[in-house]
Amino acid sequence: MTLRQTFSLLCLAAIVVLGVASRLLELPFIDRAQSVRAMARYPDRAWPDFPLFLQGVREHTKPGDTIAVIVPAMNWDGGYSYAYYRASYFLTGREVLPLVTADNARVQKNFLAAKYIAVFGVGLRVPADIVWREGRGALLRLRQR
Amino acid sequence: MTATLVAILSLAVLGIPIALAVDRRARGPLLIGTAFLYGSGTMYFVLLTLSIAHIRWTLISVTIASLIVFCVAALIARRQSDDVASQQTKLHLLDLVTLFTIVCYTLYATLAPLWEWDFWAIWGLKARTFLEIDGIDWRFLESRWNTFTHPDYPLLVPLNYDFVALLNGGWSDRWMGLTCVAWAVALALVARSLAARETTPFFAALLAMLVAALGFSRYVGLAEGALIAFGGAGVLFVRAALLDDDDVSWRHAALMLGFAANCKNEGLALLVAVTIAVVATSWSRAPVRLRKLAPAYLLAAPWLILRAAHTLPTDIVEGSAISRLLVRLPHAHQILMFLAEELTKPWFWIAILIGILLAPARRRERFTYLVTAIQCVFYVAVYFITPNGLRWHVLSSWPRLTAQIAVPITFAVFLMLANSLLAEEDAPHAEAGFDEY
Repeated sequence: MTLRQTFSLLCLAAIVVLGVASRLLELPFIDRAQSVRAMARYPDRAWPDFPLFLQGVREHTKPGDTIAVIVPAMNWDGGYSYAYYRASYFLTGREVLPLVTADNARVQKNFLAAKYIAVFGVGLRVPADIVWREGRGALLRLRQR
Repeated sequence: MTATLVAILSLAVLGIPIALAVDRRARGPLLIGTAFLYGSGTMYFVLLTLSIAHIRWTLISVTIASLIVFCVAALIARRQSDDVASQQTKLHLLDLVTLFTIVCYTLYATLAPLWEWDFWAIWGLKARTFLEIDGIDWRFLESRWNTFTHPDYPLLVPLNYDFVALLNGGWSDRWMGLTCVAWAVALALVARSLAARETTPFFAALLAMLVAALGFSRYVGLAEGALIAFGGAGVLFVRAALLDDDDVSWRHAALMLGFAANCKNEGLALLVAVTIAVVATSWSRAPVRLRKLAPAYLLAAPWLILRAAHTLPTDIVEGSAISRLLVRLPHAHQILMFLAEELTKPWFWIAILIGILLAPARRRERFTYLVTAIQCVFYVAVYFITPNGLRWHVLSSWPRLTAQIAVPITFAVFLMLANSLLAEEDAPHAEAGFDEY
């Protein structure tokens, strides 16, 4: 074996080891139940009960309804983007309207245009009928339309 | 889980006559791997066509449309000459290790309902939204409030999820990660078969294990897995076509690259990169070879037309891209340094670079190097014009982008190194094609 071949062999071994080596290979030997719990909680780690709330909102609204979401974090990067995107995912078929833009500007017209206001983790003092309430959340329908 | 498995199996069955229509000789890993990829790509076009024709997606409408495609492909496959030797791939004990890595990835991809932010904000959201109306919801894509979903992204992956959901009888993201496993396995099977043509069963099996590992996207649920599979297979088939001047490989290449262009915008960029690389590495034969790539552009065209017709915005060209470029150009060295610092698996990439320098037949692989380099230039160019915060954009995309281009270059470098270790008679193709370019 020439010196070049020796280096080629070492390089080949390095490519295989570095390319394949991964924590994936440990998966069959770890406590899967713990990982399952951790990954299931991962998307909603800040507000674990938010998906359940959105599921309730879905059950109490119809396709085509417009819904605005109010959460404790009304700052785009501080949590509103998560709430808005997550609501969009759970409330497909409805139109979820954001109340905050990516540059943190308030969108008041969406608050007025929405048929329902889904309020989670905060109180809201406006004239409204409570359509449904559970846990930390409520689905409101504004009066004076 | 059953619905997802049945969906994967159905896609593979749908793809078998298509794979045979493309390549009558295909058998074993090549047939299974290409069949799934063709099935997945075809299902996208089936659902897209139904939606454009305003035919609601139901199990019946999708099954009828798929059966029509299946029968036409079977007829074409039957007309192909049987007078060709089929391609057998000799298995190796190492293939069991690859199987083990696939099991590990399956465990990972199915740990929980898909958890990635970009799944429920982009890929899964679109699929779930479309399922509500049993067709593509253009109003949703056109809405100014939904630009966060990147409405311009092609829809191959969401529509594959919709096929799974149709079989499931409703939306469930619990087991959709299995589709990512299927894309990675399909790519590994294709690589296994192509490698077997050029090296010993041991090295071919080792390379398949490596390709499988690189194809296991950690971003389960995103379009990365599909793009790595279609794009990787496409580039590997172009490479094979250039080495052997084989029409069958050109057909595979064009179709795979066309489907890659329907996975993500990076797939479209890859098609352009491949076109440039083909022209650059075979200037005198470029017109003939570009004609063979034409089906890729035909497959990419429908979505480009639709997104233009619906004026779906592309975020990176919003505002003045030129002015952003001019602002960032003076800081090019800092941006490149940041990309180097944030490179995932840096030692792996260093090993690849050393392999390129060490390998004796570098000229033979210049197509693969060039494609990889051009695609990298495209990626970096986007960072110079992005309207997003540069740091955020790099951190949230650079690891995924480098994973997208890893397979073809690793395949080429591995084979060069492996074949340089073999006696000449063991590596029949080691230098073949050197002058063919």
